Amino acid sequence: MIFKATRMTVAALMLGASAFAASAEGWQPENPECIAPANPGGGWDFTCRQVGKSLQDLGLIEKTMQVVNLAGGGGGVAYAEVVNKRGDDSDLIVAGSTATATRLAQGAYPGNTYDQVRWLASIGADYGVIAVSADSPINTLPELLDMIKNDPTSVSVAGGSAVGGWDHLKVLIAANAYGVEDVRTVKYIAFDGGGEAVTQLLAGSVQAFTGDVSEAKGFVDSGDVKVIAVLSPERLGGEFADFPTAKEQGIDAIGANWRGFYAPAGMSDEAYDAWVSKIGTLYESPEWKEIMAANGLAPLDLRGDEFQNFVSGSVNQIQNISKEIGIIK
Amino acid sequence: MSDRIFGVFGVLLAIGYAMSALAIEESFLSDAVGPKAFPLIIAAILGISSAVIAIKPDPEPHWPDIGRFVEIAAAVVVMVLYAEFLPIIGFVFATALAATYLAWRLGSTIIGSVATGVGTSVGIYVIFHLVLGLSLARGPLGF
Amino acid sequence: MEILSALGDGFAIALTFENLLLALLGCFLGTVMGALPGLGPSNGVAILIPLAFTLGLGPTPSLILLTSVYYGAMYGGRISSILLNIPGDEPAMMTCLDGHPMAKKGMAGEALSLSGIASFVGAFFATWGLILLAPQLVKVALLFGPAEYFALFALAFMTLGGVSSTNQAKSAFAAALGLGLAMIGVDTQTGVPRFTFGEVHLYDGLDFLVAIVGLFALSEVLIFLEERHGSASAEGRKLSVGRLTPPWSMIKQCTPTMLRTSVLGFVAGVLPGAGASLGSFISYSMEKRLVDKEGTFGTGDPRGVAAPETGNNAAAGGALVPMLALGVPGSGTTAVLLAVLLSLNITPGPLLFTQNPDVVWGLIAALFIANFMLLAMNIPMVGIFTRLLMVPPRVLMPVVAMVSFVGIYGISGSSFDLLVMIGFGVMGWVLRKLDVPLVPIILGTLLGNSMEANLRRAITIDNGDWWTLVDSPLSLGLWAVAIIGFIMPIIFGRVVKNKMRQRKDEEGAISD
Repeated sequence: MIFKATRMTVAALMLGASAFAASAEGWQPENPECIAPANPGGGWDFTCRQVGKSLQDLGLIEKTMQVVNLAGGGGGVAYAEVVNKRGDDSDLIVAGSTATATRLAQGAYPGNTYDQVRWLASIGADYGVIAVSADSPINTLPELLDMIKNDPTSVSVAGGSAVGGWDHLKVLIAANAYGVEDVRTVKYIAFDGGGEAVTQLLAGSVQAFTGDVSEAKGFVDSGDVKVIAVLSPERLGGEFADFPTAKEQGIDAIGANWRGFYAPAGMSDEAYDAWVSKIGTLYESPEWKEIMAANGLAPLDLRGDEFQNFVSGSVNQIQNISKEIGIIK
Repeated sequence: MSDRIFGVFGVLLAIGYAMSALAIEESFLSDAVGPKAFPLIIAAILGISSAVIAIKPDPEPHWPDIGRFVEIAAAVVVMVLYAEFLPIIGFVFATALAATYLAWRLGSTIIGSVATGVGTSVGIYVIFHLVLGLSLARGPLGF
Repeated sequence: MEILSALGDGFAIALTFENLLLALLGCFLGTVMGALPGLGPSNGVAILIPLAFTLGLGPTPSLILLTSVYYGAMYGGRISSILLNIPGDEPAMMTCLDGHPMAKKGMAGEALSLSGIASFVGAFFATWGLILLAPQLVKVALLFGPAEYFALFALAFMTLGGVSSTNQAKSAFAAALGLGLAMIGVDTQTGVPRFTFGEVHLYDGLDFLVAIVGLFALSEVLIFLEERHGSASAEGRKLSVGRLTPPWSMIKQCTPTMLRTSVLGFVAGVLPGAGASLGSFISYSMEKRLVDKEGTFGTGDPRGVAAPETGNNAAAGGALVPMLALGVPGSGTTAVLLAVLLSLNITPGPLLFTQNPDVVWGLIAALFIANFMLLAMNIPMVGIFTRLLMVPPRVLMPVVAMVSFVGIYGISGSSFDLLVMIGFGVMGWVLRKLDVPLVPIILGTLLGNSMEANLRRAITIDNGDWWTLVDSPLSLGLWAVAIIGFIMPIIFGRVVKNKMRQRKDEEGAISD
């Protein structure tokens, strides 16, 4: 509730002062705006802010990218806003991720489908992690899943997405791969963003955390949290190389959370191409490579039509997994 | 009497609220409590407190006579019109008109009302738009 | 010593000519935005983010500008509460209860300067609290799991009864109404829409700013319209301003109150999700319980002004603790500040104090500077503020109405919100007539969603067992206080009620 004011305000800003629209070369957004469909501090928020700042630093946009936090419904509120109210806004891009595709695949944005927006480009992928607090007796993923298998009520898993969302699904994929029979018994607690979920892990209210590498990083560095599995095909590079993969622990679970942007369907082709090329230029810059490395983002470079196809494939795949696991009919 | 009517209205409101709470569509995968429970608790509190108000009313408040009611209703209509026309005719005009009306009804002279209306409108425009940079509705003339 | 030298470094960073200028600008703009209904600390800070970026400010100057705005808005909110009975922002809501009656008694100047001093005391102690206790206080925040949060919110609502009305049933009605309104929108846990009637504008829920401006500001305008003829109060709002500074005896009388509520407000601020409104609210209700032996709270008791103002400013400082140390915003404003830090490539969290000491200590020094600046600015300006009372209602009220509309429209750009606000205005007018308090409605819309979410989390964690709500000593304690607070006014209510009624008749006041 308290965040509403914030986001409305920030929303107001973007509508503000539009006097300085200049077009130096090609199409330029007058009031570049990025909607982060969650509260500040989560993955979507990070996507908007980092990209907004980097685009400006590289001179790709002239004015400061305004970031609007529009939380609610696991991104559904923002999606409905874009489809219904902002359908032809060329200045607007929205942070999306596997979580968006998941909710779309499960029909969890009432009345909305993935083809109602234009998918722009990806900026990398964030692999899922399952973590416990540093003083937890649990040290490996099989230990945690054994506890869940024996008594699902004994373990509460916290995540930043709503029930049935991507953070939830990652645990279910792992539990499914480990042979937990009815994965719906896994106890999942939804919080408003990864930050709040980690805090409750530290508070001892919950026993495990499911989220992304970038959300857990700060707390791993401080020694409060230990990552028991990263859901990537092989170990990540750099400072993340210590995290064991689920695969090497004998559990074939992979959860890649790609991050990218979508835009309103009515955006002009000129604007669409301009945004795609801006994000593409950003992706290739050494500055962005550094940010990816610092935040545990793995490479994933898809643009324009390629990205559009990727999302449609991804939606189908999640639909299949969800059916297989039994959380949708 | 007012409190009794108010209490009965509150009970009806609570029943209506509870019914629309029961009509909430459950998602395919829910938590242990679900989206209905808390609204139902609220409906119960709303109903009980309304019933208490109806049973033990406070002394009658002072209601205005019919003329004053019309006055308030007219002001509400003007405000609604203001909200509807703001995006169409622009901030400065709409605000000047609405503020003039309110000033007039609050007892200013005609000239005083117009002065108040225009002053309010321009003053707000300067502070909110030019100083604070908030976006206000743009009319056909650009302000 | 280590702390003092670090603080010295902080001041060395903050005390440049440019930074002082930014702090002055921030304090001034913050006070103005705080005083305008509809613009509060969180939008105030958000509005000035582009300014900070356009000026190309580095992390520390940006933070100095924005925290000055934050503290300034916390100061400014009280001005319209006291003078107009319209809270400038949500934490200033409680200041209306005694501040406006003081103004009516001709003590507007005293109320304003007393509240300025109270704000200073609260913010001053909170800043020291932030310096000395931040790491330890994080542990307090970690004691609060979902069940404890739910108990805390329940406590806030159950102690409402005696605070804002003489009729407990009407308080309960108002709280339930506020909570019910908060349920409108998409359910954050499962994503299903509730009470939206297919209206897409409602998917996002009702903005409590729309509610507060409608209920307080517009209904005030309607009351003036109603009373223009006949009764004398519309034209004859000739209030004397009184002296501009409070007498020593008043400050002395309020000192224990200010000290107690500094602590209480600070702790409330530290808990993420509770925030400044809860801080000022709990401060007021606790002080009322403790010192209001004669039933003077709500009728212009100076302690009733000092308590919420100290409380909300202390909470504003406290809310910075979880933001800096955990990266979890404790209020709407800190959510915006967190966003600013992130976009400056500073990640708040457990390591911020060791990794970016220059930012942390620069920020803390900035808080001290802003606080002293605000005190120095606010006390002499009391004379100017009180001139507002000289403006006749026929001029003042149209301005109030239009500023309310602009505040909401400027933020959301939506006519729908304006219509909702008018609806709230009419509702506020009817409810005032019926002596239903408005404060619980705001508190309900403000806290409803987190209250529900925490209830559902707590019960899901304990596998559907509702007894989990009273499972820890902390939550048991909170519930005990809540129940005592709920039952006491029912038992002692009659005595107080008679007293209040007598007083009301004397003044013929329209109060909440």
